Amino acid sequence: MSNQQRAILEVDQLSVSYGHFQAVRQVSFAVESGEIFGLLGPNGAGKTSTLSAIEGLLRPQGGQINVAGFSILDQPLYAKANMGVQLQSTSFQAELNVAEIIRLFAGIYGKEMTPAEVEEKLVEINLQDSGSKRFGQLSGGQQQRVSLVISTIHDPQLVLLDEPTTGLDPQSRRQLWDRIEAIKAKGHAVLLTTHSMEEAEAVCDRIAIIDHGRVIAIDTPEALIAAHRNDPDVIAVCRKGKVTLEDVFIGLTGRAVRS
Amino acid sequence: MQTKIPQTSSVMSALLRADFTTLWRNRRSLRLVLLVPVVIVISWKGMVKMMGGPYVISGGITIGLISIGLLGYTNSIARDRDKGVFQRLRVGPVAAWTIMCSRIMVQIATIMAMTIAIFAVGNLVDKIVLSPLGYLTGFFAAVLGGALYLSLGQLIVGLIKNPETVNSTTRLVYFIFIMVGMLGNFGVLGDVVKEMVQWSPYGVVNHMIGTALQPETWNLQATYALLATLGYSAVFGILGIRFFKWN
Repeated sequence: MSNQQRAILEVDQLSVSYGHFQAVRQVSFAVESGEIFGLLGPNGAGKTSTLSAIEGLLRPQGGQINVAGFSILDQPLYAKANMGVQLQSTSFQAELNVAEIIRLFAGIYGKEMTPAEVEEKLVEINLQDSGSKRFGQLSGGQQQRVSLVISTIHDPQLVLLDEPTTGLDPQSRRQLWDRIEAIKAKGHAVLLTTHSMEEAEAVCDRIAIIDHGRVIAIDTPEALIAAHRNDPDVIAVCRKGKVTLEDVFIGLTGRAVRS
Repeated sequence: MQTKIPQTSSVMSALLRADFTTLWRNRRSLRLVLLVPVVIVISWKGMVKMMGGPYVISGGITIGLISIGLLGYTNSIARDRDKGVFQRLRVGPVAAWTIMCSRIMVQIATIMAMTIAIFAVGNLVDKIVLSPLGYLTGFFAAVLGGALYLSLGQLIVGLIKNPETVNSTTRLVYFIFIMVGMLGNFGVLGDVVKEMVQWSPYGVVNHMIGTALQPETWNLQATYALLATLGYSAVFGILGIRFFKWN
């Protein structure tokens, strides 16, 4: 591995269980610097459990997770200091306004921000007039922009985005993709989960498809399509003659709707 | 690249600023929490001659502590846990104890403000005057008593996950403590209940604060009340932390 492309996130043989139910079974993958890596899977496949273990929100039953060389199990604060997280549904204290939320999280990451610096961040995300608004008063797209600015406030080497574009209109989604690509351009690594195959194809350099707690495929979107275009299961679900990533995904994970 | 984790002082200062801002923006509920003990002290003015000023002050403070510990602290923790506020904080490089410590410090500040308000109302309205040492020891006893109700709140929010159930449970416990505590302490509910109330969390805190307000009367029973307060706080606190789930 060259200096420019080193693994920022290493997940090795990760296993997560809830009682007798094994949600994640010996999952392994790595995300390199300057890479956008997508984690795809149907509902209940184990994406959120994998992400929660990486975020340090739950303790896995087995395996190792290293962020920038620090184990999330043994050195959680060092690992967390190197990562920024945007959760699926972000909630802040309802009484705080946007500027106060940004200052809170800057402080949590050890950065004291002056009001002028907070204003600068708000201008960056076109929310210069919204500093005094409560988070709940913002639109979905504006909330996502604030969440993203908070998750990258300390310039982390790894950014985790859990379904960042869910519920956004096409304009907001495109804008968010640009911001995600800007993170990559700085040489940082991005791990995102999504249900949108269009998004995965548009922004991800590599993707892993996870189902029933196992990684069943991992490669670039183009390579995955090329490798599976002749699979009978993929051809059976192909709708318009040309095999897409969605066809590959459904072909590999099945047509059945997951609860 | 060398990784620096943020200093605890920086994290605490950010959390405290946010938690105090939240408290300030919740002035309405804060006023309600403070109003009940103040009203009690004013309405018990007639009892000052009969039972003594320290009895009235300690009664007001005890009820204020129950309000803060059960209604203020517990419900805010249950609500923020349910909404995922803690989850968002915990994905940062923050030790879990700093999050809870900041919340508890805000409640202790509320307890201090409530105690000073009761002293002021007792003095201005009920004309209760204590010695400077009485005010000082009473103040510290109030903070100690507050620890008991905060740990009881921690136990409730540790055992019950649903915020609506936490809310209804705290209201029920609050009502039982106030009604049974006050009436039982007066002897209205009989001698057995009176004896039980005296060693309940309500009774020991009330007795400890009442005696601390006139330190020259401190006796063995007050020491037992102090030890019982510490014991209840430790048991409730340990169980509350043991069973607490962050999400």
